[in-house]
Amino acid sequence: MSAEVFSLFYQFADVFAFLILSAAGLAIVFGMMGVINMAHGEFIMCGAYVTVGLVNLGVPLAISQILAALTAGLIGVLVEFLVVRRFYKRPLDSLLATWGLSLIVTQSMLLIVGSAVRGIGTPEGSFAIGGYTFSTYRLVLFGCAVAVLVALYIIFMKTRFGVIARATMQNAAMAKALGARTGRIYAISFGIGAGLAGLCGALYAPTMTLIPTMGATFVVESFVTVVIGGANVLLGTAPAAVFLAMIRMALNASYGQIIGQIGMLVAVILIVRVLPEGLSSVLARRGR
Amino acid sequence: MFKLLEGPQTLGRGKLFWSCVLAVLAGALVYPLFADSYDVGNFAYFLIWIFMALGLCLMWGYGGMLSFGQTLFFGIAGYGYGVLAINMGGGTATIAALVLSVALAMIAAGILGYFMIWGGINGIFFGIVTLSATLVLAFFLGQTAGPEWHIGPARLNGFNGMKGMDPLTVGDFYIEGSALYYVMIALIVIVYLALRMLVNSGIGNVIAATRENPQRAEMLGYDVRKYQLLTFVIGSGLAGLSGALYTSWGQFITPSSIGLPAAAMPIVWVAFSGRSDLTATLVGSFLLLFGFQTITVYSQQAALVLMGALLLATVMLAPQGFVLGIGKLVADRWRGRRRDDGTVMAEAGRLQSEES
Amino acid sequence: MALVEVKGVSKRFGGLTAVSDVDLTVNAGEVHCLIGPNGAGKSTLFKLIVGLYPPSQGSILFDRVDITAERPYARVQRGMSIKMQAPSVFKELPVRQNIQIALQDRVSGAERISEEDRLLTLLNLTADSEKLAGALSHGQQQWLEIGMALALKPQLLLLDEPTAGMSPEETFKTGELVKSFNAEGMTVLVVEHDMAFVRQVAQRVTVLHLGKIFAHGDLESILQDENVAEIYLGKTHAH
Repeated sequence: MSAEVFSLFYQFADVFAFLILSAAGLAIVFGMMGVINMAHGEFIMCGAYVTVGLVNLGVPLAISQILAALTAGLIGVLVEFLVVRRFYKRPLDSLLATWGLSLIVTQSMLLIVGSAVRGIGTPEGSFAIGGYTFSTYRLVLFGCAVAVLVALYIIFMKTRFGVIARATMQNAAMAKALGARTGRIYAISFGIGAGLAGLCGALYAPTMTLIPTMGATFVVESFVTVVIGGANVLLGTAPAAVFLAMIRMALNASYGQIIGQIGMLVAVILIVRVLPEGLSSVLARRGR
Repeated sequence: MFKLLEGPQTLGRGKLFWSCVLAVLAGALVYPLFADSYDVGNFAYFLIWIFMALGLCLMWGYGGMLSFGQTLFFGIAGYGYGVLAINMGGGTATIAALVLSVALAMIAAGILGYFMIWGGINGIFFGIVTLSATLVLAFFLGQTAGPEWHIGPARLNGFNGMKGMDPLTVGDFYIEGSALYYVMIALIVIVYLALRMLVNSGIGNVIAATRENPQRAEMLGYDVRKYQLLTFVIGSGLAGLSGALYTSWGQFITPSSIGLPAAAMPIVWVAFSGRSDLTATLVGSFLLLFGFQTITVYSQQAALVLMGALLLATVMLAPQGFVLGIGKLVADRWRGRRRDDGTVMAEAGRLQSEES
Repeated sequence: MALVEVKGVSKRFGGLTAVSDVDLTVNAGEVHCLIGPNGAGKSTLFKLIVGLYPPSQGSILFDRVDITAERPYARVQRGMSIKMQAPSVFKELPVRQNIQIALQDRVSGAERISEEDRLLTLLNLTADSEKLAGALSHGQQQWLEIGMALALKPQLLLLDEPTAGMSPEETFKTGELVKSFNAEGMTVLVVEHDMAFVRQVAQRVTVLHLGKIFAHGDLESILQDENVAEIYLGKTHAH
């Protein structure tokens, strides 16, 4: 019996990790700046390619993954500085600009690197409970997703940066008047968002085929999680991921991946109809 | 009724403008007499996409709803045409397949639009929900390679796409080559003029009002949700028309005309051209399609990089669109030369009265 | 005859009760002013009548029909017309088109054009009719919006602080405008804190304080009410 329960948890954890890791970066950028980064998938792709490149050079996997996340984060800061910065007053244009960027990056990658790169294979290791075998790496991914949430909680709730960042989020003009350097906060937040996207790519790199268009695999999940999660990563994204993971797990198990994805999308559209302000507003109201 | 062809919502009026339109139309009509049939077929191919661009222009430029899901409805009608044409057995029935597949796209838009608009999704979320739906359809169609995925005798065929439907046919006559080209020209003229009349009509006024200030529009007694849904359904129907014509043109359709990067293309055309005007969109989209097709022959990736760069350049340098910007500049110069003195005097008078 | 009846209406936002158990009647044909110090709940009550918020409790009747659950557009179709506090016009559209959008459901053709011209003259906007509404001054935008509200020929005109940001002359002119509509039979409900304006136009006055009805009656009796003067001078009545 306990094996079946664990199996259910394992399936849930798998989907939950995927949703959190792919959405966290997008949600932070949206929450802080009201910008949807359409090049989010390309930061994921960047993290994956850097990881695989480094591993092929002989760098240990875990270190490669950390370096990959950092690389994506630094590129994120650069992109914020060169492009996104100009569009904070025009959120729709920021979508278009980052989408343009996304097209340029994916298609240039296809031109330069070609379509497929030699993968590195999922780290071995599995364990058995009852009659079931489980991949250890999938549990590592779940652990990473939880760690990301904890880290975000600490950064945004317990550090000086977090206090200023939350103040900026509430009222940018006021924070600026009180001496917060909002420009730098935006750059750092965008960097964190991009870095988390890079981390997502780095973590999933061993489990999938690397192609320049791989970002598209993640965007639907990250979009729908942010749509129903709203602007608050901790209060919105995490519960949204729990909720969507349950729907997805149930449908995946009985009907397969694609029906799981369709079901998730349908659920999101229905939820938005019933709760126009998103899940986080309901939770926030409860909290009051 | 023809009064509505001109109005505050559309650029271009007066004899000069319409003479230019007629001259372009005349040029388009005689073109097949001077070109070889391969080029005419290619030309017809660019024209296919114009409907999708005009539909997005209506939704985004006039209605303020930025939909990233144009290729969703393109795909629904494109696949719909294929399935219907195969199941109904070709011949004149293909005309019915065309009409029904466009209706199918509009029904799908009605359902999706109802949930989104009544659910209060707007702004950037409108874009990402429509894009999510688009990508999910593309993923779904991509994994339908197995023989179990068929509708009647029509196999969906996964990434390789659906084949084997008849092109548009009347009796025994296949509408291909020059015939298709003329059908396209006729449809574009009809759609372009009809959209001009729509946006300059009372409905168009409310659509623009809803974009500008939905609360004020509601306070004037308009149920803005209905107008938004109408705009969304018409715009998506036009995307559907493009989709059905596309399938008929090449007698195949694949999921890659739905997913990324295809979904970004209408956005690039309309943003680059100038979303707030139908004529600018028509002209700009045609130019971009022509350029894109020319470069694609050498490298599709390079053409797509260029499209991305154009989108980025548009929002950074000319957020209202390049074609529209140039068009306005030319029009201002033209008008400026004719009544230079008058406007200067009026300006001076206005300034004076403001100072006093 | 009562045109608007607000019955036992409350509105809570989280833990804050903005409007508490309010009864209010606006009679057909009168100019009724809703006044009160800042934070009294005037604007919230206005938005409840307009339909921008659903009430937490109570019901609202218009012309004896319960409209509590209706959206704003449906209330407007019943004969209400609304001017919000901040100028809210279609900024990227020309002035004339703004008026046209308000008019087009009621009149058409040549009649509409002449009605447009009449309103533009009334509002002193004829010279600016081809300008974009966003290019008008603040006061002109306020008038344009009042003009759009009038274009509907409403039974009831609802104005939320119509004179905010206007000069004393503009305020006076607006007052005369309101009185002239009323003379033609239009009922007017105004939320206002400019007492000069209230003196100029009001026939009946309701005073709101801390979300509750504090006093109501004709203009004279309210002006002489010492308690009303007290809350306006900032002394808290409860002490």
